[in-house]
Amino acid sequence: MRPLTLHRLLLQCLLLLVILFFVVILALKFGAVPVSLYALGRDLLRVLFGQSSGISSDYGLIIVNIRLPRILLGIIVGASLSVAGTSFQALLRNPLADPYVLGVSSGAALGAILALIAEPHLTISPVFAALLTPLGAFLGAAATITAVYFLGRRQGQIDSSTLLLGGVITASFLSAIIMFLMNTLTGNLRGLAYWLMGDLSTSPQKSVYWFLGIGFLAATGAIYTTAGDLNLLLAGEKEAMHLGVDVPRVRLVVYIAASLLTGLAVSVSGAIGYVGLIVPHAMRLLFGSDHRTLLPTAALGGAIAVVFADTLARTVVAPAELAVGAVTAIAGAPLFIYLLRRRLA
Amino acid sequence: MNILACPRLRSAACTALAAFLSCAAPSRAQSAPTVSSGAPAFREVTDEVGRNVRVPQPVRRIVSLAPSLTETIYTLGLQDRLVGDTDYCDYPPDAEKKAKVGGAINPSLERIVALHPDLVLVTKSLNRLETVRALAELGISSYATDPHTVDEIITSSEKLAGVLGVPEAGAAIASDMQHRLADLQRRIGALPPKRVLFVVWTQPLISVGKDTFIADALRQAGAVSIVDSEQSEQSWPQVSLEEVARLQPEFLVFAASHAERTPPTVEVLATFPGWRILDAVSNRRYAVISDAVNRPAPRIVTAIEDLARQLHPDAFVEKPENGRQKLEKENPAGNRQLSSHDYLSPRDPQVDGRTSGDGACAR
Repeated sequence: MRPLTLHRLLLQCLLLLVILFFVVILALKFGAVPVSLYALGRDLLRVLFGQSSGISSDYGLIIVNIRLPRILLGIIVGASLSVAGTSFQALLRNPLADPYVLGVSSGAALGAILALIAEPHLTISPVFAALLTPLGAFLGAAATITAVYFLGRRQGQIDSSTLLLGGVITASFLSAIIMFLMNTLTGNLRGLAYWLMGDLSTSPQKSVYWFLGIGFLAATGAIYTTAGDLNLLLAGEKEAMHLGVDVPRVRLVVYIAASLLTGLAVSVSGAIGYVGLIVPHAMRLLFGSDHRTLLPTAALGGAIAVVFADTLARTVVAPAELAVGAVTAIAGAPLFIYLLRRRLA
Repeated sequence: MNILACPRLRSAACTALAAFLSCAAPSRAQSAPTVSSGAPAFREVTDEVGRNVRVPQPVRRIVSLAPSLTETIYTLGLQDRLVGDTDYCDYPPDAEKKAKVGGAINPSLERIVALHPDLVLVTKSLNRLETVRALAELGISSYATDPHTVDEIITSSEKLAGVLGVPEAGAAIASDMQHRLADLQRRIGALPPKRVLFVVWTQPLISVGKDTFIADALRQAGAVSIVDSEQSEQSWPQVSLEEVARLQPEFLVFAASHAERTPPTVEVLATFPGWRILDAVSNRRYAVISDAVNRPAPRIVTAIEDLARQLHPDAFVEKPENGRQKLEKENPAGNRQLSSHDYLSPRDPQVDGRTSGDGACAR
């Protein structure tokens, strides 16, 4: 492993930021309503220089109030899922781990739905009510990863195929419970079917963005403090322990933080699959598997991937929209199979 | 305005919004544009889900997010004010030519914004709450309907007509629907209702719950759904074929779109062993009615009359001439669109005097 230099990390992040910038421009330009590059540039410059009152067209409204919030949401969700995937892969020493494959997303979805069901029966302040769904999603995610972790253990060691199978079975079990709830309950749960596929079309309130942003930074920061330990963990839990890593502490920190990331992402966008799988792989190929660089590059890469996938979801069947989860699954599932075959070979 | 942390962006959005509401194209000069210059620009109404909605007056540009609402707008004679509808708005055929904003569940917010609607119409049974919330954050007024019975469809249409500024047209439609239903009751009211299974979907078998307007439409047509019981709390219950076989409905009722009069499913069903045990299937006792029954719009009365005629043919024989005339009137031949002219005499003069398209800005 090459020694980490700040210079190299910054260079890698800069490269990804440039790509993200162009993807964001792409996402701002394309959509159900055509917007010219000139109008886009003019309006963006006005926003940047505080002359926003000059934006007279409804394009301004579409760009600033529909596309920009959605892109911002895509960035946070993509980065969260990707960092969560990277962490799970390191901790479980399994390159196929991903919040979706492991059932963590389904657990978060179930938690969110239970929170939605409970909400009308609770007498709580509106501020807390808005956070109830993310909280439910987090608890669901944390409970699921705990269950899957114990399912995947054999004689004190994680067995990777048992772990994956355990995750897949857990996901289908949780999906069945979700189906059951949706079929038994009356009321307006129709939107949930769409949300479950992974959907960014409805942006949450502004306060939720703050919550998401702070939650993302805190959880990613917590995981980053263990980046060096995660590198050592790649050699195995026992080996890492011999090298002085406090494995139980690292495990606790990373599981909680990664569950939080997954829960936050799922509570606003449903179960967008395979982002946490593909992106860390691509970043490892490009920049190596040192977690001190992998975590930030995976965050940026996840943002790029989801914003790009959502742009496709918005435009392919315009003016109708696909669920972004369908786009990521179409791209991600074949890659998962490829990686699985290559590992077995 | 969501999301944008920066207050600068927020004010940008507000300004852009106010600009398009007031139709003042170059709004650079206006620092705090007020919309209410002159006549009262807004009217507060309570919609059918209990929200207070600020409806711009007059409503010149309407986007409909449900096929039923699109039909109601045409029936009210307001089709020229309808600037956008969904991919599923196919009746009358002219509705297919309107600008499309996507599906009812996943419409494109951008397309809706670009159409500059004064009011977006939604219905609770079809559209998502998230869509309504997103529209509200964009400063676009939306009015929701939520009819659960045929009577509520009538009152809902009438109320909507009032909101859109054409109360006379609404009253005319309401009285027409009420008269036709009363006429129907005179013919079949005393007859015992036929026990039917309304088939929404065959695989899996989905029927209608008792609180839906379809169940009520069946009642108005002299039928009673066999799943019309306590257990049908859900709107669209999945029904076990065994339960259907136990209850043995006298008729199966299907809704066909106007394009296909007889759904192929009916004959195909008879080849399935599970379905053959139903007397209604082995005796070919089906009623196929227009898919208007699926839409809480004024045309549902036509579907109710059609069903009543198929289920209680004897009640319609004593006046053959009258009946034939009615048939022609209510099933417009070919592509002739059902418009307000069919049974609505006075059109609101304001409607005809209105300018369409972007010219609406010239206030």
